[in-house]
Amino acid sequence: MGSFFRFTAFLLLILSATHLCCNSVAYGSSSASSSSTTMHTNNWAVLVCTSRFWFNYRHMANTLSLYRTVKRLGIPDERIILMLADDMACNARNKYPAQVFNNENHRLNLYGDNVEVDYRGYEVTVENFLRVLTGRHETAVPRSKRLLSDEGSHILLYMTGHGGDEFLKFQDSEELQSHDLADAVKQMKEKRRFKELLIMVDTCQAATLFSQLHSPGVLAIGSSMKGENSYSHHLDSDVGVSVVDRFTFYTLAFFEKLNMYDNASLSSLFGSYNPNMLMSTAYYRMDLYERRLEEVPVTNFFGSVMETIHTVSAYRAPSGKNSDKDKIKLSLDQSVGLDKRRTLTSSNVQDQINNSNTKDQLGVFEHLWCTFLNKAEKIEDVDILVNYGLVIMLPLVAVFTWLSH
Amino acid sequence: MAESETPKTRRRPLVRLGIFLISHSLLVSVVCCTAGVLALLLLPVLAKNTYISENALMPGSANAMLSSEDISEAHRFMNDLTGLNLKTGETGIESSRLIARYMSDLGADVNYHKFHPQPNQFRPLHFFSNSDSRIIQENIGCSSHGVNTVGIIRAPRGDGKEAIVLVTPYNSHKIDLAEALSLAIAYSVFSLLTRVTWLAKDIIWLAADSKYGEYTSVSAWLRDYQTPVFGDFEKPYSEICYESNACHGLKESEITERKISDVFRRAGTMAAALVIKVSDGNKQADGTLSIYAEASNGQMPNLDLINIVNNLAVHRQGLQVKVEKLLSLLDSKWLRILGEVFESVGNIARSLNPQWKFGIPAADYMEGAATLTSSLYYQALGVPTGSHGAFRDYQVDAITLEISPKVALNNKIKQTEFLQRGGRLIEGVIRSVNNLLEKFHQSFFLYLLTSPSKFVSVGVYMIAFALLVAPLPIVAASLYSDANKWDSSLKKHDPTSSPKSADDERRNILRSWKWLYAAKQVFIIHSWGVIVSLLPYLICQMPNWMSKVLTWLILGSPIIDADASQSQKREWAILKSVTISAAFIGLCLMSVINFATAEIGALLLVPMCLLAHPLRLDVRAHSLKAFTRAGSNLVLGFIGFPPAAFFVLKGSFEGFESVNISDFWNWIESLWAWNSATYLYIGMVHLPCWALCIWILLHPC
Repeated sequence: MGSFFRFTAFLLLILSATHLCCNSVAYGSSSASSSSTTMHTNNWAVLVCTSRFWFNYRHMANTLSLYRTVKRLGIPDERIILMLADDMACNARNKYPAQVFNNENHRLNLYGDNVEVDYRGYEVTVENFLRVLTGRHETAVPRSKRLLSDEGSHILLYMTGHGGDEFLKFQDSEELQSHDLADAVKQMKEKRRFKELLIMVDTCQAATLFSQLHSPGVLAIGSSMKGENSYSHHLDSDVGVSVVDRFTFYTLAFFEKLNMYDNASLSSLFGSYNPNMLMSTAYYRMDLYERRLEEVPVTNFFGSVMETIHTVSAYRAPSGKNSDKDKIKLSLDQSVGLDKRRTLTSSNVQDQINNSNTKDQLGVFEHLWCTFLNKAEKIEDVDILVNYGLVIMLPLVAVFTWLSH
Repeated sequence: MAESETPKTRRRPLVRLGIFLISHSLLVSVVCCTAGVLALLLLPVLAKNTYISENALMPGSANAMLSSEDISEAHRFMNDLTGLNLKTGETGIESSRLIARYMSDLGADVNYHKFHPQPNQFRPLHFFSNSDSRIIQENIGCSSHGVNTVGIIRAPRGDGKEAIVLVTPYNSHKIDLAEALSLAIAYSVFSLLTRVTWLAKDIIWLAADSKYGEYTSVSAWLRDYQTPVFGDFEKPYSEICYESNACHGLKESEITERKISDVFRRAGTMAAALVIKVSDGNKQADGTLSIYAEASNGQMPNLDLINIVNNLAVHRQGLQVKVEKLLSLLDSKWLRILGEVFESVGNIARSLNPQWKFGIPAADYMEGAATLTSSLYYQALGVPTGSHGAFRDYQVDAITLEISPKVALNNKIKQTEFLQRGGRLIEGVIRSVNNLLEKFHQSFFLYLLTSPSKFVSVGVYMIAFALLVAPLPIVAASLYSDANKWDSSLKKHDPTSSPKSADDERRNILRSWKWLYAAKQVFIIHSWGVIVSLLPYLICQMPNWMSKVLTWLILGSPIIDADASQSQKREWAILKSVTISAAFIGLCLMSVINFATAEIGALLLVPMCLLAHPLRLDVRAHSLKAFTRAGSNLVLGFIGFPPAAFFVLKGSFEGFESVNISDFWNWIESLWAWNSATYLYIGMVHLPCWALCIWILLHPC
């Protein structure tokens, strides 16, 4: 009898799993708006240093180092909007005129050649920043100063400066509030200006800046939790200022090991932040983001699209076959990810890395599910699928009860 | 009765509180005065650690760049300077020329600044109006002028709008070793700064000729710096004297002297100024850095400037920083007992709740109290403690750094080490100030130091003063209302006056204006105070015999006036009430101008004013309370007299054997010469209030 119950329980489990799967399929098909079905077409980066004054040298160095990194990983200058609130390189207090360093060894001059600053000095305002994000410019603003992204763009938004609870200071005179940022992102979403957006912020209490975000497809990383400070990494006693912040320093350290063909995932980037080294807790907000971080290479944001998209005709959307495939893959991700979501959001990154060890096993399942779902796709009505499932269950139950007796 | 109850309850709570306080004025004044004195004694305990408030300063974030070449150059410069002493007797022009040549060799813009020492002028309103009345002196010949040497380094990539000033006072007639060392320190830093790329502000090195006093030369240079003269109406004497000096200049080889000129050179507005001095080393303070900060009328430089110097000296150069303190207080027994009491109270509090962390060790308390007293005294004096005071008149933050070497600086190695330390300290401070983006504004301007790294801010020390003066208006109001009540009760007992209502009305009106008589008395005495405080000025203007007569007339006038006063019965109460009001107003006004003066003045004046009571009444009363009151009144009346107060305080701190009658006159004269507001306070608030109190004591009633 005991074994009978065991099997019934098992059956129930399978049933519920099927149901879940159906749900997820339904969810995927309903919520998969046009943006998630579109291909990842291009990469953009908006890099903002919001603070003025000589003693904020490190913020400019942060931004310039990240600029250099994303350029090295393949985002071209025309797709980088670089906003620097002050000019440290030409500050009279700079011991090395026209040079900016992010390390006291002075091996790398960040301000060397090919630095294209799009917004500089007093141009870096909250207004201009929001205009860049939402794309509402005066007609006279040149194309090079606009974020000309489309619905297939992956955008990296990096900001550094002085912040507080739900705000980021711009220029020592105004603030960007978390509401403003969330509103701008929402407008971007509605205007189909991005497919996925990674917001990376290195300020004090950076996590609070993300509290109002609601738009899907947004992933956010902050250097510190509410009530924490973000600290500078080290002081260059030759220049006489701190040259880099901890969070950015370790981010750069992670990217130094990569080239543009590497497949390191976002979760490995997030896992690389050690709270003891940062002296703050890095915070990730990923409940708005659909994909699994283990499967997203960092080059999706920090690098650029490498493959060319072959289109049959110049003025039509990518072919249906392609998009179908994409859709299936996406819903599959969800079905796997759904039961893991709770652990994803609550457990720390270390667990996620462990999870990736089971990837091979999952691969076998994936194939099975793929064929199964392919069939499911052909069936028009979801209810019918459920009924079919139930019908298949009945003989199974019969067989198992018979076997157990 | 019921009817009179209801309007009382309808009164506003504030009014009711006021009435309550006035009706318990005795208790209130005792509590407030005790609390005020206690709060003053608690200040060393309440002192907070200093912190650098301005983010831009970043002291010590850069490594010192001063190299041994700079030091050896400075050493050569120093040897040349001291060598001049041996060569010629008259080194006045030689030394300044030597300094100028060294400056211009470094590539700086150099000019000579000639000035004439100005005789001390009494300008009582100097601290209200900053407008400089340029006094043209006709009678001064060219011979009696000093020559400042000024070198300016232009910041290579700066905008030339701001400057940092280094001042090294030296006596051009006889340069001693200490002065040569201070010049050498400035030279080493200066030579470094001509090479660095990080300057954002121009650097001005003023080698001030202290032949006629340090302050004179610096203030003369500042006056000319801040008030440019255009057109032909330049100082007439400079034209005359120019000829004689121009030939001197021409004789020199023109290649080296190209950049040296007599044209006044300027840089931008001054961000900060450092006066560098080296003490002779024969004092007990060895290997220390003394900071002097007090400018005229108790104005202080921004606390951040002291903080960065302290930070760099302690953490970078390993110097021991100290500020002036009253050494005699360190031996006093009662202060030790007080410190121990506070310490034990703090310990008890900590045992109750570990988070209550007040209470400091008794030794720390004594150090803090001694420093605080000296800080309070020098601020109250209103006389600058050094030539940095001249900068404060132009709202430039400045301090004097006096470095005393550890050992006698006779051999070269010791000198080199000393120069390196001093130079690196100055370099660090300059680099930190160079990082500044705005004027010093973040930290405190109103503070008292209890140690180089501890301060009491205005928010804390105001409490002591507020508590001290709080009883004054309350007691004045209660005295006034009592006097009125007493009159009306007198009338009620008198049956004859009750029927005539019209007459009663008139008398009522008269009575309500009775305080005008008292106010008139107080006004007369105060105007007498004004005349007394202007006396030195008048004496200067008049022939000798007339001034003597005038002095005695003026000093004696209140006595004559006192005879004529009408002796009504409760008159003295009204008079006391008005006196107290006047003292209150005077103290409050003074606390705005110079807080420390007001604080010390309040300590003397408040008990005297509050306790004043006619002696004749006390003697008649035949009670212990009356006798103690009369006794304390006499003591307070004695201490309240400015010369007596001066001698008692001086005697108690320095021992009575050193007290001299002429000290007081010298002291007053120095206050007068430095245009101190304290002088005006003594003449126009303290002295009249004291006279009025004495009058009340001697009131015939």
